[in-house]
Amino acid sequence: MTEITGVDPKGNESVGRAVQRKEDYRFLIGRGHYVSDLRLPGTRHVAFLRSPLAHAKINSIDISSALEADFVEAIFTGESDPFKSVSLIARSALPSYIETAQPILAWDKVRFSGEPIAAVVATDRYLAEDGLELIEVEYERLPANVSAWSTPAEPLHKEALDNVLLERRFQSGDVKDALAGAEVVIERELISNRQGGNPLECRAGVALFEPGDGTLQFWSGTQVPHLVRNALAELMGMSEAKIRVVAPDVGGGFGTKAALYPEDVAICMIARLMPGTPIKWVEDRAEHLLSATHARDHRYLVTAGFSSDGTLLALKADVTCNVGAYSVYPWTAGIEPLMAGGLLSGPYRLENYDCMVRAVATNSSPSGPYRGVARPASVFAMEAIMDEAARRLGMSTIDIRRKNFIGPQDIPYKMPTRLVDDSGHYERCLDKALELFDLDQFLEEQQRRRGTNEPPIGFGVACYNELTGLGRAASAGPRMPFRTGHDACTVKVNPDGTVTVFSGVTSQGQGLETTVAQIVADGIGVDYDDVQVRIGNTDESLWGFGAFSSRQAVIGGGAAQLSALVVRDKVIRLASELLEIDINDLILRDGKIWVAGEVEPRLSLAEIARVAYLESNRLPDGMEPGLEATRFYDPIRGAFAAGVQIGSLEVDVSTGEIRILKWVCVEDAGRVINPAIVDGQIAGAIAQGIGGAMYEHLIYDGDGNLSTGTLMDYLIPTSGEIPEMIIGHLQFPADNPLGVRGVGEGGTLGPNAVIAGAVADALGILVDQLPVTEGAVWEGLQ
Amino acid sequence: MRVTLSVNGKPATIDVEPRRTLADALREDLGLTGTHLGCEHGVCGACTVMLDGLPVRACLVLAVQAEGASLLTVEGLAGEDGALHPLQQSFTEHHALQCGFCTPGMLISALDLLNRIPNPTRAEIRSEMSGNICRCTGYNSITDAILAAARSLTQKD
Repeated sequence: MTEITGVDPKGNESVGRAVQRKEDYRFLIGRGHYVSDLRLPGTRHVAFLRSPLAHAKINSIDISSALEADFVEAIFTGESDPFKSVSLIARSALPSYIETAQPILAWDKVRFSGEPIAAVVATDRYLAEDGLELIEVEYERLPANVSAWSTPAEPLHKEALDNVLLERRFQSGDVKDALAGAEVVIERELISNRQGGNPLECRAGVALFEPGDGTLQFWSGTQVPHLVRNALAELMGMSEAKIRVVAPDVGGGFGTKAALYPEDVAICMIARLMPGTPIKWVEDRAEHLLSATHARDHRYLVTAGFSSDGTLLALKADVTCNVGAYSVYPWTAGIEPLMAGGLLSGPYRLENYDCMVRAVATNSSPSGPYRGVARPASVFAMEAIMDEAARRLGMSTIDIRRKNFIGPQDIPYKMPTRLVDDSGHYERCLDKALELFDLDQFLEEQQRRRGTNEPPIGFGVACYNELTGLGRAASAGPRMPFRTGHDACTVKVNPDGTVTVFSGVTSQGQGLETTVAQIVADGIGVDYDDVQVRIGNTDESLWGFGAFSSRQAVIGGGAAQLSALVVRDKVIRLASELLEIDINDLILRDGKIWVAGEVEPRLSLAEIARVAYLESNRLPDGMEPGLEATRFYDPIRGAFAAGVQIGSLEVDVSTGEIRILKWVCVEDAGRVINPAIVDGQIAGAIAQGIGGAMYEHLIYDGDGNLSTGTLMDYLIPTSGEIPEMIIGHLQFPADNPLGVRGVGEGGTLGPNAVIAGAVADALGILVDQLPVTEGAVWEGLQ
Repeated sequence: MRVTLSVNGKPATIDVEPRRTLADALREDLGLTGTHLGCEHGVCGACTVMLDGLPVRACLVLAVQAEGASLLTVEGLAGEDGALHPLQQSFTEHHALQCGFCTPGMLISALDLLNRIPNPTRAEIRSEMSGNICRCTGYNSITDAILAAARSLTQKD
């Protein structure tokens, strides 16, 4: 595996360049098309009545006064069909897994504050909300439990009396023996904080059932339109051929929009009950904080043994993840615990591993995928262990990591959880990060300040491996009834020589229209400006699982590349026939056919495309008209992306306030398709990680009321908090058609560990609990 | 209630309930969906528009309060010929937008910033722009874009 040096491509290729994004112009002039912007004639608006209680039996729902109000067009509750007969059940074949039935509208019991109970339909959102106030619900309170590590007084689901929905043990080697022989044994309890993805655009959907042909159209801000269509067909008893799901422009997702929610199904069902009427629901932020998926509410009990030279000998862990009230659809309650247990040891060599993970239901909003899935917390746990082992052994925090890294010589490295690491370039990332950070200068300044009254400074380091672009083997772990290893792409040269791509990828800001256009432009040999990419529409693309697991550049990009190459081959074959020149002497570049060695092109792609579509009489025998190809791609395994972050901060010891001084990140993104987009993904992910490390915390009180229900309480960092960042790259191509490694999530993995490590370094206090707020630091100092 | 106002230089009249927010009036009654709603409680800044030359959160202003006012929304930034405003141009050149949802509010707040402080420092930009949340970029590219736009605008003067 040779490193690619230099980012700029030679020649006219667009891959490797920060070309102007295709999305930008419409966004900048206010002409994006988000779901909430959709204005269909006769639209009716939905507002949901949500439970004010975290756990209660519903004795009655009285909608009679609401029905009498002339501004209320319709009210739906879960007591009647079709709502009552359908529930969201995430499926997995894992042995200990217990399914939960999440109602579309709760009717017998509510299990978290914010759970939808009834839907009111009116001509506008104001009137629909007025209608909510006329509904009377009689509840019988049940004891609520929001902590996954306390004994519940009342189980949420009768199928799981202890609230445990899944337990799985990862085992390799002999931990007991290895710990007995260890020079140093570290034991820690580490807790990470509940957060939410909080894309700036909340959830939204518009559903329209057309009575003329029995079709359902669903415009949704979803990351996974094909999965949504598949699920809606099953849940609503409809043919997939009669459902079209469209994800237009989507204002951020981060995993939050990768779930199918009860509200989504409810508005589709309402649309079918009100044929011909567009049904629109636009969530507000208060609803979002209450009822969109949460994440990262975990506890790690870790025991690790090290030899005297700092070698990690054994790792034993007990991981509990608070998965909320239901097993999230369709990903299951296993999404966080399985990821936490599968990748806890990170970029370090390890033979002896014994890790029990469990998913525990509580009276809180269901936990779902959120950028980095579990690893911001698991990296925090692993790096805390590394830092403490270094301290106990009198080593530097850098040296102990060097000692344990999986290296290029170990590749392919089978982790104790049987995942196969194909990277091994952690030490190179660390070296480059240290160079950009300038550790020597930092240590000098730290030493100098120690003799003064100036605020103490500290530095922290996080090393991580992000499993990206998971193929069918790597995505097998959760044993769901689908394997997310593949995507399809269709590439079509139009009769005028321009190119239209129908890709199964989706975009929530990652610029996939741009990235896919760059790949196809180079794959065929045409100008980037001549390629248009259509995404997010189940009637246009054949198949795509969507945006999650940093998979789309690898898998959707791979499919685009393969399709483009097939089309290119056909163009060259046809050109060869028309010119009567051997195919091996022909080159397709800049939309023109050149004969090798000549200075002028012989034919334009437009001339060839015209023959392909309009003059079949000139086609060679056996060649079909048209210039189009559809290909799937599945990388089978995945592409590990190595990453290292180093940050420094100073602490005001009188207040506990933290000021970040410097932040460096080096990632191996493999071959970079668009450097601006890649850096944008890394920077945005780091900012989210810093938010989670220091500010963002969804807090329930003991009764299960969310006490951080607005953005005045749930603090998303602003330009005032996020530091400048220095981002460096390594480019070791991965084993896939483009050589790319996913880069969407890695940035979130470092900040918890960096901040916790830096505070420990500055003040000599151990951070066991996140977030690291001013208050927590101040308390730690007392 | 009847409200007469000017939006992006053009007169407009709408008939709204007193409780209707300016943001909803712009989006639903005038079809100007470029102004986005991210929180509806005045924190995120996505719905920021200019009202008589000053930035306001359109989710916290009632449409009736805009009687007689002159509004500028994101749709009014580019030229009649579609040419981007220097801030818009700078945002695309510096990759200062990803999903585009915060962008309208960012642009209007940045315009207000440059109206008041034509040559801001990075620290001033960070402080002044801290009323607008972006969940995608991590803000550094937005700071770069505003700094570069300030330079290009002051060089023109």
